[in-house]
Amino acid sequence: MNVLIIDPDDARAALVAEGIRADYGGPDTHVRLGTHFELRMLRDFDPDMVIIACESPDRDMLEALQVANEVVPRPVVMFVDRSDDNATARALEAGVAAYIVDGFNPKRMASILTVAAQRFALTQGLRNDLSKAKADLAARKTIDRAKGVLMKSRNLTEDDAYKALRKHAMDTGRSIQAVAADILAVSGLLGGE
Amino acid sequence: MDLKIAFNPLNDAALIVIAEALGFYESEGLSVTLTREANWSTVRDKLAYGLVDAAHILAPVPFAAALGLGPSVGRVIAPLALGANGNAFLVSAALKARLEGETSLLGSARMLAREVERRRQHGEGQIVFAIPFTYSAHHFVLRHWVASAGLDPERQIRWVVLPPSRMAQMVKDGLIDGFTSGSPWPQASRLAGHGEVLFSDPDYWTLKPEKVLAVRAAWAEEHEGGTFALTRALLRAGSWACQGSNRDDLIRIMARRIYCGAPPEAVEMALRTVSGQGGSGLVLDPQIATFPWISHAKWFLGQMVRWGWLAPDHDFDQLARHIYRPDLWREAAGSLGFDLPLADEKDEGGQPRPWSLAATPKPITMPPNVLFDGGVFKCRAE
Repeated sequence: MNVLIIDPDDARAALVAEGIRADYGGPDTHVRLGTHFELRMLRDFDPDMVIIACESPDRDMLEALQVANEVVPRPVVMFVDRSDDNATARALEAGVAAYIVDGFNPKRMASILTVAAQRFALTQGLRNDLSKAKADLAARKTIDRAKGVLMKSRNLTEDDAYKALRKHAMDTGRSIQAVAADILAVSGLLGGE
Repeated sequence: MDLKIAFNPLNDAALIVIAEALGFYESEGLSVTLTREANWSTVRDKLAYGLVDAAHILAPVPFAAALGLGPSVGRVIAPLALGANGNAFLVSAALKARLEGETSLLGSARMLAREVERRRQHGEGQIVFAIPFTYSAHHFVLRHWVASAGLDPERQIRWVVLPPSRMAQMVKDGLIDGFTSGSPWPQASRLAGHGEVLFSDPDYWTLKPEKVLAVRAAWAEEHEGGTFALTRALLRAGSWACQGSNRDDLIRIMARRIYCGAPPEAVEMALRTVSGQGGSGLVLDPQIATFPWISHAKWFLGQMVRWGWLAPDHDFDQLARHIYRPDLWREAAGSLGFDLPLADEKDEGGQPRPWSLAATPKPITMPPNVLFDGGVFKCRAE
């Protein structure tokens, strides 16, 4: 079984490959990765299944091959019975689509696609955590700088400056970060930074 | 009312993008989440599986999918077009040099036929043109142009589907001889010195249909008034976008990273009307370029028959009306005080000068409607 994985995010592709090898590892399973799809990959590698990230712009290229040629992997969405296509739907939701050649075992297709979807969801979770951590850090910095402005302009202790920020946030129904950003925006007028 | 709308990063997603940037969805009572997609296959699948409720889509795609060409898009309706024109055809400097001296499309096609013959005699490879999707106006336009010189587009030209983001590099590397894509990508490549715009949409057809808004029929049925509100928001976005005084703001918004993510100069160039300057003549005026003409739908279906993807024995009128919904356009546009065309179909082509279109309460002054070869597409049962 040859599986080709196309994903601009190569770390995520490696994660999917590892998942497939864990389930189908064996001398007959070959997995190849690419950040871009190239036509020659079909000739050189002859994949039975292609897994492609929905965010890859190359998906339309792969899709078009079925119009021109009979012996290329076709979109999985063309094979599934709509009453039983949970694997395809969940994969799409996770951001991954698949193409298989005629005759590829549908059960195997569904289980590989499920593995791919899980790995995509996992990566998305990590990405979300990372961007939340970055946002938290940025918020922290904004608040610290606003505290500094208040300490200097109103001659407050750090603790009192934070309390003033928090009180203003509660009074106006906004986040402390938003209040802090406003203070920084007008800090020039306050004679601060 | 919550809904998700998918779009691809192109200038002709302007109405969808502007309605968000200026808050028109909210003021129509809609809570919209936009999702930026990287290809059309995913847009189609997301509509089919209900992961989005509406989408910026190539006008021929819902018809192709409904006729079994490729995977299903599910049941969709198109209450409005998202403007007219917007694509440009960029060729390599080498091919441009071979087509030099001819400014009309008929002339450049004749020169192309000579070049095809020259390459054949010298045993050089076939001319390769890239398009972004098989069932696209881009493809139909290029095939029509190629065929106008007596070339057989099926045998004498090689077609490849490529993502617009990779087309420019392939022209530069000599892997393809030219490509058509929506703006601002051909303009971005021209600015990067990768090739020249040979012609753009208005040179081919002064008011060429291109993208539509596809709405999942199930969403429309479950949400009373939803399609009306959505169509109103987009028409209002169009009224804003076509004001000359808003042009700079329009360019800045479209160039933002979350929308097109292209250089503002490329977006600006693409909005020009003269193709010699890289323009692609995008028309966003909702009064003249958003009505979902049944004659446009039939023209697309006719192209699919012409190029052999579709048998001619279909009920094209029924098919066209199943997806294109001029009745919904009239309902929304009427509430905004637009003039409403009386007919659902018109002759396409044959109007070299501005002309008066029968409408209520008053007629609409339409810009010229001409095809490059002088052809007139008639589909009305007189």
